[in-house]
Amino acid sequence: MTEMERMYAYFICSIPMIGGVRAGQLLSRFGDPQGVYEAGTAGWREILSDSVVEYMDRQKKSGNLEEEYHSLREKQIGLVLQEEEGFPQKLLEIPDPPYGLFYKGKLPEQKQPSVAVIGARECSEYGRFVAEELGRYLGSQGIQVISGMARGIDGISQQTALLAGGTSYGVLGCGVDICYPSQNRKLYEELIQKGGLLSTYAPGTKALPAYFPPRNRIVSGLADALIVIEARQKSGTLITVDMALEQGKDVYVVPGRITDRLSDGCNRLLTQGAGVFLSPESFTEEFLRNWEEKQELSSPDPAQKIRGRRKSRKRIEKLEEPLRQVYKLLDCVPKSTEIILQEAWKKGEYIDIVTLHRRLMELELMGYVKQNTPGYFGTSAN
Amino acid sequence: MFSTIDSGAVCGLQAYLVRVEVDLAGGLPSFQMVGSLGSEVRESRERVCVAMKNSGFQIPPCHITVNLAPAGRRKDGTAFDLPIAVGLLKDMELLTEEAVRDTLFLGELGLNGEIKRVKGVLPIVREAADKGIGRVIVPRENALEAAVIPGITVWGVGELGELIMALLHPDAENEKIYKPRIRAEELLQKKKADRRGDFKEVSGQESARRGAMIAAAGFHNLLMMGPPGVGKSMIAGRIPGILPPLTLEESLEVTSIYSVAGLLTPEQALITERPFYAPHHTVTAAALIGGGNAYPRPGMVSLAHRGVLFLDELPEFQRTVLDSMRQPLEERRVQIARASGVVTFPSDFMLVAAMNPCPCGYYPDRNKCRCTQPQIEKYLGKVSGPLLDRIDLCVELQPVDILHLQTKITGESSEQMRERIERARKMQEKRYAGTEYRFNGDVSSADVDHYCSLGETEKNVMEQLYHALELSARAYHRILKTARTIADLEEQENIAKEHLLEAACYRPSGEYWG
Repeated sequence: MTEMERMYAYFICSIPMIGGVRAGQLLSRFGDPQGVYEAGTAGWREILSDSVVEYMDRQKKSGNLEEEYHSLREKQIGLVLQEEEGFPQKLLEIPDPPYGLFYKGKLPEQKQPSVAVIGARECSEYGRFVAEELGRYLGSQGIQVISGMARGIDGISQQTALLAGGTSYGVLGCGVDICYPSQNRKLYEELIQKGGLLSTYAPGTKALPAYFPPRNRIVSGLADALIVIEARQKSGTLITVDMALEQGKDVYVVPGRITDRLSDGCNRLLTQGAGVFLSPESFTEEFLRNWEEKQELSSPDPAQKIRGRRKSRKRIEKLEEPLRQVYKLLDCVPKSTEIILQEAWKKGEYIDIVTLHRRLMELELMGYVKQNTPGYFGTSAN
Repeated sequence: MFSTIDSGAVCGLQAYLVRVEVDLAGGLPSFQMVGSLGSEVRESRERVCVAMKNSGFQIPPCHITVNLAPAGRRKDGTAFDLPIAVGLLKDMELLTEEAVRDTLFLGELGLNGEIKRVKGVLPIVREAADKGIGRVIVPRENALEAAVIPGITVWGVGELGELIMALLHPDAENEKIYKPRIRAEELLQKKKADRRGDFKEVSGQESARRGAMIAAAGFHNLLMMGPPGVGKSMIAGRIPGILPPLTLEESLEVTSIYSVAGLLTPEQALITERPFYAPHHTVTAAALIGGGNAYPRPGMVSLAHRGVLFLDELPEFQRTVLDSMRQPLEERRVQIARASGVVTFPSDFMLVAAMNPCPCGYYPDRNKCRCTQPQIEKYLGKVSGPLLDRIDLCVELQPVDILHLQTKITGESSEQMRERIERARKMQEKRYAGTEYRFNGDVSSADVDHYCSLGETEKNVMEQLYHALELSARAYHRILKTARTIADLEEQENIAKEHLLEAACYRPSGEYWG
């Protein structure tokens, strides 16, 4: 494809309302991207609605297409089109693949396994804990983590995957030059360095609620399997699950307590036959086996896989009383000291507040305990 | 005829003596008043004339001039009515020089000759005693507060005519004149039933209870976080009851403020209990800090001096109002500048604040709380960092377990807690003798290292804490001060590792805010 043709293809990609299907229709009607560009309002109207045509016309007249296209390089933003070589093959297998993909950093490695991790933005401490453990483990196993860079589960799993030395890719519902949500700025920068940011929307496109469901289709499309960590009964996460199932991906779900509203969606999925996620290790083992069968590729070093769990089981044995007594009162869901005290008393273990405070802080210094929200103590993940 | 009568006035809490000069001369009848007078003082002319007429004293038609010296100082309030009337009576030769010598007069006159209560009597009487005046004559309702000052005779009077009779016959027994005698020390020692409730009525909430005790022992500012209805206000209201009792000096300071604000009841000679003020969150900056046009009045931060100022629903207060508390918290006094000059009120209070962890109050319980992270951050962000920097302890409260309510497991009573706090105070008294500090909570960050010195092991622990909790320099100092108080509660000379660990648990609240 020549640069000229790519420039006209860029024009098509820069219209947010035109997805893969419409783009295909336009191309088969007018021959090539340049033909589409030159067809003008009269031609476009045959296929597109009036409002989209109006928008395209404005775009065509207002912007300097050539300048805009070349500025991509300055902004270090890549564009890869459906028919080009680098285009992720997995996306070609889904219904309605996008016509083009903008990216910053790298595109996902096609020959490496990848897993999408999704879940609630307003997650609980339980969700945070699982997302951290999972992200860290996937990262250490060289499995690419695909997600939406949102607050909560998405961002946490991606951040910990990067921390563990893995790679991760964020699919955005806005232009790749925009960091949304803005508080994930650090993750955004790191993703560019160590992984990539992808979007079907042209640079400069602001995030709109309508852009997120199409984005979710890319998240699941890029992955070999999908893991849902926390989802309410009605949530965007479940839309992504539907898309993943449509695309024929394996869906794994982290079970939750039936009293947790944030696990309602997850538990519902489990009744519908989703895979049960029990631990990062067991998931990875099963996932890689399936994946290898498909790929017939060598697996990462199996000796690495068993680490982690065993270590945490051993940790308590190293503790002496009364540290041990205090540690036993905790679990991964952080609790305030008041609650810890009440639970201990209910069990008939008497401990006073002063000792509890002091021992908790000692455990925190030893790395056994962590406060994610100040004043709330839970066992630490590693 | 010319006469001078002693009186006094206050500017802020500072009292000064005023000489009321009254001159009666021939000429066209008129009544002139001079000497930088506020509007209440100028109105005094009408009250005095009518009150004298109704008490049976006819003012002769002549040229009357009244001057309040020092004439350059602005004068407000209604306390000059009585001295002006007395001056006129002396000019009219109804009183002798003998009768008014060595006497300070204060009082407002009603049109029927009644003598009404005025503000600021205590500081003025104190100043008068310092200047060697032997007798003060004040409204009957102010007599008790005046009698607190030793070495000065106090007459409380209710009516102008009665006063004149008594002045003319000083030796006669006169039941119309109230001559209270008070031993301030005894008043302070008298134990009263604490109407504010006892800590043993608080079920559960061990961590808040412990936090309150440490805060009270070291006069630290305290923040309580927790969902609605868990007893934050209940605990706050009981904190004054466990603070060490007021000393005489402290009590006089507090009573002076109440006297100036006109808040003492006629039966009250001294404020003997630590004040407790809980302004509603719609309070204005002027009401909280103090203010007023020409004559600044003490605000709640000063009325809570040596006591507790409780701000419930902290984030609901206007940001500007909260920020205006920074100076009083930092300097422990308030300066109010007005055209007439700068007035200073003391404001050494213990700040107890309470708030929900998020707009709905249930975070981090995600089953109940559906606030989004930005909502929570916005809510917490309403409280500014500099204010939080002054808060040494932060405790979490949880809904009380049914077990606690049913079995009525009671904790320590206020009495028991106060005993331990009293011991901690003795430790601090010794440590800070001869310095400006009284409690660990007062120590400025420059002096923290001096008063809260650590051994090698303890330094090590602090270093670990510093890294593990990602502390700021301020948070580091707050932990040291809190640890000092915890050690004092156990009567330990040196801060040990245990004390540091516990202090770090009351995570200085700044960490909530990133």
